[in-house]
Amino acid sequence: MPFLDTTSPAPAAENDGLPDFASSAYKSAYSRINAIVIEGEQEAHDNYIALGTLLPSEAEELARLARMELKHKKGFTACGANLGVEADMPFARDFFAPLRNNFQKALTEGKVVTCLLIQAILIEAFAISAYHIYIPVADPFARKITEGVVKDEYLHLNYGQEWLKANLDTIREEFDQANRDNLPLVRRMLDGVAADAAVLQMEKEDLMADFLTSYQEALTEIGFTSREIARMAAAALVG
Amino acid sequence: MFGLIGHSTSFESARQLAQSLGFPEYAQGDLEMWCSAPPQLVERFSVTSATGRTIEGAYIDSVFVPEMLSRFKTARRKVLNAMELAQKSGIDISALGGFTSIIFENFNLLKEQHIRNTTLEWERFTTGNTHTAWVICQQVEKEAPRLGIDLRKATVAVVGATGDIGSAVCRWLSQRTGVAELLLVARQPQPLIDLQAELGGGRILSLEDALAEADVVVWVASLPQGLTIDVANLKRPCLMIDGGYPKNLDSRAAGDGIHVLKGGIVEFHTDIDWQTVAQAAEMARPFRQMFACFAEAMLLDFENEHTNFSWGRNNIQLDRMDWIGAASRRHGFQALGLETETIPSLATA
Repeated sequence: MPFLDTTSPAPAAENDGLPDFASSAYKSAYSRINAIVIEGEQEAHDNYIALGTLLPSEAEELARLARMELKHKKGFTACGANLGVEADMPFARDFFAPLRNNFQKALTEGKVVTCLLIQAILIEAFAISAYHIYIPVADPFARKITEGVVKDEYLHLNYGQEWLKANLDTIREEFDQANRDNLPLVRRMLDGVAADAAVLQMEKEDLMADFLTSYQEALTEIGFTSREIARMAAAALVG
Repeated sequence: MFGLIGHSTSFESARQLAQSLGFPEYAQGDLEMWCSAPPQLVERFSVTSATGRTIEGAYIDSVFVPEMLSRFKTARRKVLNAMELAQKSGIDISALGGFTSIIFENFNLLKEQHIRNTTLEWERFTTGNTHTAWVICQQVEKEAPRLGIDLRKATVAVVGATGDIGSAVCRWLSQRTGVAELLLVARQPQPLIDLQAELGGGRILSLEDALAEADVVVWVASLPQGLTIDVANLKRPCLMIDGGYPKNLDSRAAGDGIHVLKGGIVEFHTDIDWQTVAQAAEMARPFRQMFACFAEAMLLDFENEHTNFSWGRNNIQLDRMDWIGAASRRHGFQALGLETETIPSLATA
């Protein structure tokens, strides 16, 4: 393709420096973001254990995944302590309420596909993309912890993908409905933390775009067509 | 498998495309939504060479639109994510089309090889500039004589001479065609001086002065917004090859004796069964015509040459142009020419 050398768009300045981790603005924002991560890991643990009740033959593997989530929770708790920040747990519990309610409802109805979509695909894809965006702007202590965590989260995403892939013929309808019910929540949740995330130098547009990239990748692995994927991803953008 | 990474020519046309593909959510979405939308592999097709060999390809829409050019982070992310999708889709060689190669080059994305858990393998991508440069040179050599311009007596101006394609075109014209005089036009003085030294010739001129002297003008820089061309100042006949992106020269330099040809466009020997590409590219014959850079990815796949054939800046040498040019002919591409009816002497003949 022709190279423009007369009207090249000027690159805006990139982030040179890291945020001031000791500032009160940073700590205030971190108290909520850190709480979300801690709560997220706890709920992930609980959700994997609960999934074991729906998939008894998988219970052992799910318990192993659940244990990893508790280890992550410990790591992120240490990140808060390292910065002298107390996590705002009530905020985090409210933050997760809509997704948690949907998961619990699906659990009582025995809907494995919906439960897997919420926990093993949607939440894991979001965590992976958010952690990737956080790593370059994290304090050195948190960076190391998060780099370790993100590797594990791929295993969790992979678990959900593999199960859904193996059952693709029978899951389409429920998956589509669960996508419609839950994907719009991600955007609303993101809107709720965008200002705090920006203080940590994590931009909402990046978070949404990277989440959708990870989500689409997972759907590709499961075996959905490009067309189904584009349509399902749209639910996050306009829901 | 080869890939084409592209985008719509405007936000409005992107929305129309989404509507026609059956994605009303995207068609109704605002620019903010489009900024967050990930790339899509929208179409797969097969292409059969004039030699009979068939290869498979895919079109990846980066979901970038030119309205995002001023948003550095968005533009960067769009290009890198589209490349990641191409790689993860198992595509051996993809061409960076439209603004994507320009963004890659200008935003120095070579230093952004790691995205999330993916390391981009550069050998899977090509700018397609070698083929584009070769095609533009073919267009000069074939079309100028049709207008009665004898290149051995002609003055040829290259606007954007120091760019990747521009410098390759200058090398070819000065070494292979024996043009009477080469005029070098670009913004930055030092690269022009360096190019002149490398070529061992060529005259450095301002755009305005060069236009007044040139029988042939090769544009490989897009026109700065608001630039007007004083048509009265141009020689007659004048062949203008519009090799920049986007192609908008025909609306600014129209007039009797001025012949504007879309540069760096090729036509394939047979129709290709692609629908989205046909709609996105806005060509006169959309099932056969395409950007030469896209065709380069096909050529590399036909030839099993899965390498980043065109890469970096000012690396295009004549032997590489010869190689891609021979492949281009062999597999059934030809450079877009002037329509016969636009040449009065030929139309009445």
